[in-house]
Amino acid sequence: MPTCSTKYQGEIEYSEDAVLNFAWGPFGFEAETRFVLIEVPPARPIVFLQSLATPGLCFVALPVFVVDPAYRLSLAPEDLSALELPANRQPRIGEEVLCLVLITVQKNRPTTANLMAPVVVNLGSRNALQTLAFEVNYSHQHEFLQPEEDAVCS
Amino acid sequence: MLIMRRREGEAIMIGDDVEIRILSIGRSKVKIGITAPRTVPVSSHEIELVRSENQAAAGILSDGPALVARLLRARVQETPEKSPEVTDQKEEE
Repeated sequence: MPTCSTKYQGEIEYSEDAVLNFAWGPFGFEAETRFVLIEVPPARPIVFLQSLATPGLCFVALPVFVVDPAYRLSLAPEDLSALELPANRQPRIGEEVLCLVLITVQKNRPTTANLMAPVVVNLGSRNALQTLAFEVNYSHQHEFLQPEEDAVCS
Repeated sequence: MLIMRRREGEAIMIGDDVEIRILSIGRSKVKIGITAPRTVPVSSHEIELVRSENQAAAGILSDGPALVARLLRARVQETPEKSPEVTDQKEEE
């Protein structure tokens, strides 16, 4: 099995099945088109999107329903075609596509999820892209976890 | 801010080589065509927001994932629901 260096897990072995091929890299990282999807049991439901080209680049992501159980996709026609999905309707999350939101976490600040630009993966082909939700007004900094209190008891 | 009214098909010029044309007008959206030299970067406001948010997401600290996992577990324990996942968690304690 091929191996790669990762930001969080050191050197790992991965299977080609876990490689996502992005039609275009995430915004701001347009040249990064191959990511390995890593799941680590203690960190569940967190999913790591590790760049194969850049060991120091890894996004921390969550399945969108963990953050917003009512989330609705709004993929543009060009997204649907890049993902090789039917053009006449939105795909079903969890059945046809995996929908991940990228997480930003900073000390003493609320943890936020980027609901405006989810990463959508065609579960059949492993084609992926970061889309821009344009039908619904989702925030790119949706606060969903409050920071820990400094004083820890118990 | 300069405000101009345009009909479908009409255009606006910015300088000598940037043209913005109103291609079609829908109920709540307009389709705009932009012609500009390659040296002029064109992107929507939202893309700029997402670009900088991706930079922030990529730059999180090495203990970030562990922190998120801990906060998520704390959230599950605070809001007991009838889902089997929550029941499992309680049995473990």
